[in-house]
Amino acid sequence: MYRLEHEGGVSLDFYPCMKHKVIRKTVREFAEIEIGPIAHDIDQEARFPWEVIEKMRPMHFFGLQVPKEYGGADLDSISYAIVIEELSRVCAAIGLCVTVHNSVGLYPILKFGTEEQKRRFVPLLASGEIIGAFCITEANAGSDAGGVETHAVKDGNHYIVNGTKIFVTNGAICGAPLIFAVTNAKNSKKAASVFIVEKTTPGYSVGEIEDLCGMRANPVSSLFLEDCRVPEENLLMNLGDGLKIVLITLDTGRIGIAAQALGIAQAAFEASVRYSKERQQFRQPIGSFQTIQNMLADMATEIDAVRLLLYRACAYKDAGVTFSTEAAMAKLSCSTVASRVTSQAVQIHGGYGYSKEYDVERYFRDAKVTEIYEGTSEVQRMVIARAVLTKPS
Amino acid sequence: MDDSKNKGTATHSIWVFGDYRNYFQNRVTLQLLSRANELAKKINAEVCATVFGHDVDEWVGEYIAHGAQKIYVLDDRKIKDYNVDIYAGLMVRLIEQHKPEIVLVGATSFGREFAPQVAKKLLTGLTADCVGLDINDKGILLQTAPAFGGNLLAEIITPERRPQMATVRPGVYREIPHNYHATGEIVRLSLPKDLPKPRVRLLSAERQTQREQRLEDARIIVCGGRGMGSFKRFRNLTELARLMSGEVGATRPVVYAKWASQDALVGQAGRQIRPQLLFSFGISGAIQHTAAITGTDLIIAVNKNPNAAMMKLSDVAIVADANQTCLALIKELKKSLRG
Amino acid sequence: MKFVVCIKQVPAVSELPWDPQTGTLMRDLAEGIMNPACKHALEAAIQLKETLGGHITAITMGPPAAEEILHEAIAMGADKGVLLTDLRMAGGDTLVTSHTLGMAIAKVCPDVDLILCGCHTSDSETAQVGPQLAVELDVPSVAYVEHLEVLGTTLTMRRLADNFLETLEMDLPGLVTMTTKHYQPRYVSLGGLNDAFLAAEILILNADDLGLDPERIGIKGSATRIQNVYAPKAQKENVVLKGAVKHIVEELFARFGDRIAGAIGKDLDGRQ
Repeated sequence: MYRLEHEGGVSLDFYPCMKHKVIRKTVREFAEIEIGPIAHDIDQEARFPWEVIEKMRPMHFFGLQVPKEYGGADLDSISYAIVIEELSRVCAAIGLCVTVHNSVGLYPILKFGTEEQKRRFVPLLASGEIIGAFCITEANAGSDAGGVETHAVKDGNHYIVNGTKIFVTNGAICGAPLIFAVTNAKNSKKAASVFIVEKTTPGYSVGEIEDLCGMRANPVSSLFLEDCRVPEENLLMNLGDGLKIVLITLDTGRIGIAAQALGIAQAAFEASVRYSKERQQFRQPIGSFQTIQNMLADMATEIDAVRLLLYRACAYKDAGVTFSTEAAMAKLSCSTVASRVTSQAVQIHGGYGYSKEYDVERYFRDAKVTEIYEGTSEVQRMVIARAVLTKPS
Repeated sequence: MDDSKNKGTATHSIWVFGDYRNYFQNRVTLQLLSRANELAKKINAEVCATVFGHDVDEWVGEYIAHGAQKIYVLDDRKIKDYNVDIYAGLMVRLIEQHKPEIVLVGATSFGREFAPQVAKKLLTGLTADCVGLDINDKGILLQTAPAFGGNLLAEIITPERRPQMATVRPGVYREIPHNYHATGEIVRLSLPKDLPKPRVRLLSAERQTQREQRLEDARIIVCGGRGMGSFKRFRNLTELARLMSGEVGATRPVVYAKWASQDALVGQAGRQIRPQLLFSFGISGAIQHTAAITGTDLIIAVNKNPNAAMMKLSDVAIVADANQTCLALIKELKKSLRG
Repeated sequence: MKFVVCIKQVPAVSELPWDPQTGTLMRDLAEGIMNPACKHALEAAIQLKETLGGHITAITMGPPAAEEILHEAIAMGADKGVLLTDLRMAGGDTLVTSHTLGMAIAKVCPDVDLILCGCHTSDSETAQVGPQLAVELDVPSVAYVEHLEVLGTTLTMRRLADNFLETLEMDLPGLVTMTTKHYQPRYVSLGGLNDAFLAAEILILNADDLGLDPERIGIKGSATRIQNVYAPKAQKENVVLKGAVKHIVEELFARFGDRIAGAIGKDLDGRQ
């Protein structure tokens, strides 16, 4: 809750501003009332709750940073992070849906698209009428995006796209995902491009929804593209700009995932505090034992620390300065802390923490993947190390 | 009791507003007359009642039989329906004329609208929804009222302004039994000539069947939460409630999951329940829920988790599976209930 | 049509920390929310405005942080927000609160047609400010309204009062207090909230701006005084029963059978 202003630079001001407080409260109230009661069940049943999505559409959840002229809320990045955090605090799977839609499904079109492309797709995405996604990962291409085999070949004024994308977040529900495909296999540099592929395209099909450890309410699936004829108007930027788009998009995506991880950590922490006050052993609340107090103190400090890293990345982004390293640091630290805090939360809850009757085991399952997707923690370290080593000493 | 009336020697008067609508269910005026008599002894006061309306002699008689030593009556066809505006104006005039020390009003819907207007017109203090009234050592009315959703109690006084006014919840005090031999002074007044035209007009009034107030009036409530596990299991609570002629209540997550309808929600602002017996199955105890049940006599909570807030608040905390316990209770009641 | 909605920021009850040592509420630590009944009143005003057209002014009296709920009100659909804030106003009872609000309304919206308030607040629950404000402004009022309709210069209302479902008619200008039964408040859009902070019309007034006599406001001007706040003594003995369900039920009836039977109003066999 710290506003970082930026006028000709970035100045620091840690005092929470009223707007951020109210946005946080508004989203928290919505999430607790509308999503809270069903969060456990949709995870258990691996069900995507369309009824909640319906309510979220008019509230601009699907166009958080989209300018007003396209029907968005035009929020600053810290507000955006707060929204994702508060959603994820109640249900990480829904927070995931919203952040992936906004940051990697919609944002590239807004940033790199032509006026025509923006006009065609942004309002539909911002209103939530179509859900967005970005497909990069394949069976042989995870951290190594260069291993992508999906390819697009020019044919008149279309491109024929063939390939299979896996582990697509929002896969089963997206309407116009962005596809990262190789477009110049002959060239040894293996250039890649990004296409907007509408789901109505013949040859486009959705695979089975993955049976995952966590984020189960999110319909993560494979996407099959068999001879999909994609109009050339759907090419984002130019041929060969694929990697550039991906790198810049992922910087924004990392802010969203960091916020998501933060929300999960926050939920686990709050549950631990509550439990420490209620649970009695040896005739006192366990919160009176130093061991538990140390755990809670560490959790509180870590969560606060990574929150600041996240908001700094947000502030840099809004200021227009490069923020790749800062975003990587935020993603790395928030996801690491989320894993650690949720694991401790289960520990604090003891046997009850292992049972599905309590929410902490879900936080624990949900947290792990934040260290993996949108760039594993190892990849984040690569990004940071590179920045550190290339700086003149 | 009728001999101990200190009509001639009283230095003060304590007034009770006669709210006679729904007389047989709503005994609050009688309860206040009883308390007024006890307070009156401490400050050497006489207890009076006010009755406004048309054809009100029945209530006048009742109030005398239940403790009023004097009654001010305004009986006229023009004021036959309750009207906050008009009645407040009439009450203010009476009070300015006779200057009672204390004025008590039952906290019915009417009372809670009427009393503030009277207090404001007289620029005096009013404490709402009192659960306790006493006279302190300085001879001032000590008013105890709930604060912050009923979790705390506040002691309030009106040190200088007069009269000291309070509204009191029904059920806080017990009425004096009907005394056929009681007598009292009846002062019949006539309606002022300059009565203003009513700015609020009653177009229709339908007496509601008790349906609307099921939960608020229930003596026994069987309340269930998410811990029941499923809609099918939640339904067992209905059977348990039926066996005891009670009502079923639910927490917000249950209403959300549609295992129960919105009317069953316990924990809504303003819906205070006051059963004699409350069973709480599989409820953790969110504050909005627990604040709504503070008036219960006996709470029996069933939860697998011995540390749930609800378990700490209850008289009996049963650490067991909610559904199993419900079924066992049904079996036992079916066996042992006679008639 | 000109509307004024009185709203109040109250502590979110589930977080209210209370210091048993000093017997006071640690209000600063609790998050504030718009009182639910006030929110419903605001929603009612917005719906009326959508049908009849007009202007809504949201007014609140409180510490500077109360400005938050004015932004929320504007994001929901109010046109203007007014914050009455002054240390001298603090701690007042309903008598002085209604006076302060009345003076404010007379200043910022003297030609108001309808004033809406929540029926009561979740923190004090006196339900007195509405009716007393009506007396301050010398307008008629009806409390605990569930449904409203405007026809010309009269307002028709439906409400449940003491087991009677009443339909009433009131001359405007007038005041109503709304229950939470209907007018479910709409969720605010995030864009709307953002706009409410960018270009909000919020007027901040203190006691001097309103021409208030310091003797007639705050604790000084109050007729009532709170002498003491305390937690009701827990008379609950809290008996814990554990073990096999069959035995639990047996023990329950053995120890509490007579109280249970008393509540049911029937005898329980073999329990005596």
